Amino acid sequence: MEIIDRLSAGDPEKKKYYIRLFLDTLEPELENLRGAHIGAPQEPIRAILHKLKSQVQTIGAADAHAMMSAHEQTIKGGGTISQSELDITCDLLSTLIQNLQDLLK
Amino acid sequence: MSKHLKIALVDDDIPNTEILRDFLIRNGYSHVDKYHDGESFLESIDRFDERAVVLDFDLSGGGELNGLEVLEALKERSPQTHVIFYSGQDSLEVAVESLKNGADDYIVKSNAAFALVKTSLDKVYDLQVLRLSEKRNQRISWALALGWLITLVGVAIFVAN
Repeated sequence: MEIIDRLSAGDPEKKKYYIRLFLDTLEPELENLRGAHIGAPQEPIRAILHKLKSQVQTIGAADAHAMMSAHEQTIKGGGTISQSELDITCDLLSTLIQNLQDLLK
Repeated sequence: MSKHLKIALVDDDIPNTEILRDFLIRNGYSHVDKYHDGESFLESIDRFDERAVVLDFDLSGGGELNGLEVLEALKERSPQTHVIFYSGQDSLEVAVESLKNGADDYIVKSNAAFALVKTSLDKVYDLQVLRLSEKRNQRISWALALGWLITLVGVAIFVAN
């Protein structure tokens, strides 16, 4: 959140604007991840993880970023991730979204 | 101080592009356009495009073209445009391909990426200032040479008469 804090420079409305921008992407992509078929080719999952990892990094969620990067690399390397790995990633993302929503209150 | 360098950000990541744009504006770059797919960006360029371009590799959330394809098309139409390849792919292969195709720099998205993009754009800006200064000096040299020539011709005519 450091870059957002720095750019919003004490302007709470600006900070909320940035948070909403992230939520506009994170919320629908979380639904896409939850609805993804783990048995099918996992390229669509990789594409979502790739898209989200830069955003969670900017927000400062290091754990979520590390996990998404690792899963992306696994799929890119021809491997697959398991349902439980996907569930854990979704739970992390869900917590992050909840934290961002709390900041808007 | 406002830096007169036009910049185009081409990235399908909407929030990060918005934040990077604000970051660059805060650091003195007043003219920053953004595009979320390669197609609309390519439509906007012309042969004399003077913008520096910060170009993402994976543009799959926006359009059909990836960053390397956009780079290739851009360099065909506007070879002098400076391109900073900005990618979430920490891939040597993509980095080499982008540099081979005319990118000036390759930056992997990370916590330090915004600052690295700014540093890279600062170099492009300094180069642009240097080139403008060289052109101005060249014009002054030509004007001086022409002045001397006119004087010499005048003296020669005077002596001949």
